[in-house]
Amino acid sequence: MIRIYNVVKRYQKDSAALNDIDLRISKGEFVYITGPSGAGKSTLLKLLFCAERPTRGQILINGQNVTRMRLSQIPYLRRKLGVVFQDFKLLNNRTILENVSFPLEIQGKKRYEISKKVYQTLKLVGLEKHLQKHPLELSGGEQQRVAIARALIMDPLILLADEPTGNLDAKVTEDIMDLFKGANARGTTVIMATHNQEVIRRYPRRVIMLRDGRVEKDVTP
Amino acid sequence: MPEKLVYFIRSAAGNMRQSPLLCTAAIGTVAVSLTIIAFFSILFFNIEQLTIHWGRQVQIKAFLDVVPKTEVLQAWTRKIEAFPEVEKVVYVTQMQAFERFRERLGQNADLLRGLTSQILPASLEIELKEQFRSRSGIQAVVEKLRQNQNLQDLHYGQDWLERFESFVTLLKFSAGILGSFLLFATVFIVSNTIKLTLYARRDELEIMSLVGGTPLFIKTPYIFEGAFQGAFGALVALGSTYLIYQFLLKKSLVTLLFTMGVKDIVFLPLTYQLTFLLTGVFLGAVGSMVSLRKFVRIRY
Ligand SMILES: Nc1ncnc2c1ncn2[C@@H]1O[C@H](COP(=O)(O)OP(=O)(O)OP(=O)(O)O)[C@@H](O)[C@H]1O
Ligand SMILES: [Mg+2]
Repeated sequence: MIRIYNVVKRYQKDSAALNDIDLRISKGEFVYITGPSGAGKSTLLKLLFCAERPTRGQILINGQNVTRMRLSQIPYLRRKLGVVFQDFKLLNNRTILENVSFPLEIQGKKRYEISKKVYQTLKLVGLEKHLQKHPLELSGGEQQRVAIARALIMDPLILLADEPTGNLDAKVTEDIMDLFKGANARGTTVIMATHNQEVIRRYPRRVIMLRDGRVEKDVTP
Repeated sequence: MPEKLVYFIRSAAGNMRQSPLLCTAAIGTVAVSLTIIAFFSILFFNIEQLTIHWGRQVQIKAFLDVVPKTEVLQAWTRKIEAFPEVEKVVYVTQMQAFERFRERLGQNADLLRGLTSQILPASLEIELKEQFRSRSGIQAVVEKLRQNQNLQDLHYGQDWLERFESFVTLLKFSAGILGSFLLFATVFIVSNTIKLTLYARRDELEIMSLVGGTPLFIKTPYIFEGAFQGAFGALVALGSTYLIYQFLLKKSLVTLLFTMGVKDIVFLPLTYQLTFLLTGVFLGAVGSMVSLRKFVRIRY
C-alpha cells in the first residue's frame, strides 16, 4: 500500500528533517509514528499527503509514485486519503453539516447523495444531533470527531492523523481511538503520529519510532 | 457541470454574506476607483465633443470677387461637392455675409450704418468630411480649387488649424497617460483589497486543498465573487458619477466651456457605461485571479 524508499527531506540546506527513511506499510495496517518533538513525524505525514516534496527518494502510494506525480494530479490522490490534525482545521464559519459535506461537494457530487452520506457519517461519530451547529459551539473532542467524520466520509484508503488526541483528555481520546479502530476494521489503513505513550500501551499496534529524522525502532507486537 | 455551477454561485454568495465587511471593502474600492476614472472620462468626453465641434469649423472659404451667374455657381458647387474630401458647399451671398458681420459686431453694429452689403464679397464655404479635417486634407482640396481661375482667394486658417491639431494630439496623449495611470492604480488597489479578503480566508483555502479540491475548483467561487463585486462596484461608480454630473459638473463645466462654444455638458454615452461595467467585472475577476495564485497552493 505504501512504500517509502530512502527518503530524505531537508527544509534547509544543512539539516535534514528526515534522513534515509525506508518503510513499507501494508493495506489495512494500523501504524503509530512516534518519537520526540522535532523527530520528523509531521514531516513524514506531509510527504504522504503531498503537502511537501521529498528532497530525495521515492514514495509509492497504492502503486502510484507520488514524488513524480504532476501537481494537477495531487487533488485526486488526496481524495483517497483522509487527514486529521491536532488543531482540527475545521471551517469555523460553516456548520457541521457543511464542514463534513465539503470533500463531497468538492467532487461535485449531487446534493441528495451528499446529505445522506453526511448523516450516516455523523451518526458514525455520534454527532448527528449537532449538524446545524458551528464548530466553536462544540467541545474539543466533538470538533475532532467532526474532523474525523470529514476524513472518513470519502471512505479513504488511508487515514493520516497528526497528534489527533493532542489536546484531548483520556475519555475523549478513547472515543477517538475507537473511531480509528472502527475505520481500520472496515479496511482503512491508519497512520497516526503521536507521542502519547498511554495510547500506544492501551491499543498496541505497530510502532515506528523516529529520532532526528531516522527510524530508530520499528516494532510490531 | 450544473451541480458545480450551482455550487460556485452558492459559495460565492455565501462568502459574501459571511464577510459583509470585506465584501463592502472590495466593492467600495472598485467604486471609488472607477468613479475617479468616470469623472475624468466625462471631462475628456465633453472636451472631445468640443473638438469635434471645433473641427466642423475647419473649412475653406473661397471669396468671389465677382458674383457669378446662378448657373455658373451651381456648376462650381456640383463640381466641388464631387471631390471625395468635401462634405458640402454653402454659398454665402453678400447680404448674408453682411448680416453675419453685423451680428458678430454686436453692440458695435452701428459702425456699419451707412454702408451697403456690397462691401463684403460673397463666398463659397466648403466643409470637409470628418477624416479630411486636417492640414493635408485641406491642402489637397485647395490644390484642386486653385485650378479654377475664379477661385483664387482662398482662406482656411492655416495657423489656427496647426494649433488645433497639436491641441487635439496633446489632449489625446494626456488622456492616454492619465487613463492608463488610473487603471493601473485601480488594478493595484483592487487586487490588494482582494488579497486582504483572501488572507482572512487562507485557512479555508488551505483546508479545501487538503480535502482534495482542485485549484480551479477552489478558485472559481472567489473569481465569481470578484467579478460580482467588480460589477456592483462599477454600478455604484456610475451612479455616483451621475450624481456628481447632475449636481456639480453640469453647471460648473458649462460656465467654463461656454466661451469655447459648448452649450451642454453630456453624461457618458451608453457604450461608455457598458465599458465601465465590463471594466468592473474584469478588474474584480482579474484582481481575484492574481491574488489567488498566492493563496491556493497544492504543495507548500
Ligand atoms: N516548514 C518548515 N520549514 C523549516 N523547517 C521545518 C519545517 N517544518 C518542520 N521543520 C523542521 O523539521 C524538523 C522536523 O519537524 P516535524 O514537525 O516533522 O517534527 P515532529 O516530529 O512532528 O515534532 P512535534 O512532535 O513537535 O510535532 C524540525 O527540526 C523542524 O524544525
Ligand atoms: Mg508534529
